[in-house]
Amino acid sequence: MTDSELIEKINSGNTQAFKELIEKYQGVVFRTAMGFVHSKADADDLTQEVFIRVFESLHSFKGKAEFSTWLYRITANCSINFIKRNSKNRLLLSLENIFNYYSNEKTPLEQLEAAERDRLIKAAIDRLPTSQRTAFVLSRYEELPQKEVARIMNKSEGAVEQLLQRAKGNLQKKLDKTVGK
Amino acid sequence: MGTEKYINDLIEREKQMVPSPYLSTRVLAEIERKQLQANYRPSVWKAIALAASFAAVTVLGITLGNSYKGDYYPKLGMNINDSQIENLEYYNLEDYD
Repeated sequence: MTDSELIEKINSGNTQAFKELIEKYQGVVFRTAMGFVHSKADADDLTQEVFIRVFESLHSFKGKAEFSTWLYRITANCSINFIKRNSKNRLLLSLENIFNYYSNEKTPLEQLEAAERDRLIKAAIDRLPTSQRTAFVLSRYEELPQKEVARIMNKSEGAVEQLLQRAKGNLQKKLDKTVGK
Repeated sequence: MGTEKYINDLIEREKQMVPSPYLSTRVLAEIERKQLQANYRPSVWKAIALAASFAAVTVLGITLGNSYKGDYYPKLGMNINDSQIENLEYYNLEDYD
């Protein structure tokens, strides 16, 4: 069933069709959310929030853009709002990740080093300006082409390319001295 | 180069994660709960009946309180003055008889 057929059914009150839509797109939304929040529990909550928002505003979707573009836009906006709302809890989460890092192949010291490296990378991604971060997540986590990222962010392709370059530069500047030494 | 590799590793690991298998159930349950909450409109008549019953109970209480007249006949009071009681020691005195 195509997206427009599903949307038509959902708008006429078919709950099963919405379940089908969730199952079709939950991976996409979850991966994008992971790029923003770096925690499975938070990404699950965020995915739920996104689909509730989709259900509530599906009647306003006119079909001018692809449904997936519209969905990515909602996901990015919800993720940014979620991060703003939970900024205090995120420090505790990053500390928790250090202690929960576990791998059979590494010594405790290597595990600790890997966890610290992950924490630094996540913190560097989190510190990127919102537009750079959104472009980075959509391009690297979802591997979307720049054209699609530009459509989602309502920007030109050139602007997105610039954002990605800046994001890459900022990450390297922040991480080269710590992670890449 | 090392930094880029570490960033890619992290992204790949995060991309391997999958959402909860109960996600669609959770979403539909939450939507249903929100719809029920939105449909619940407390009836105006229910609120009026509740306010009227409170007012009636209050008025009844005040009326009952006001209708209480108290006792018509004063209660008998006993005033016992200890100094007027006969001293019992008199009965123990031998020469009293």
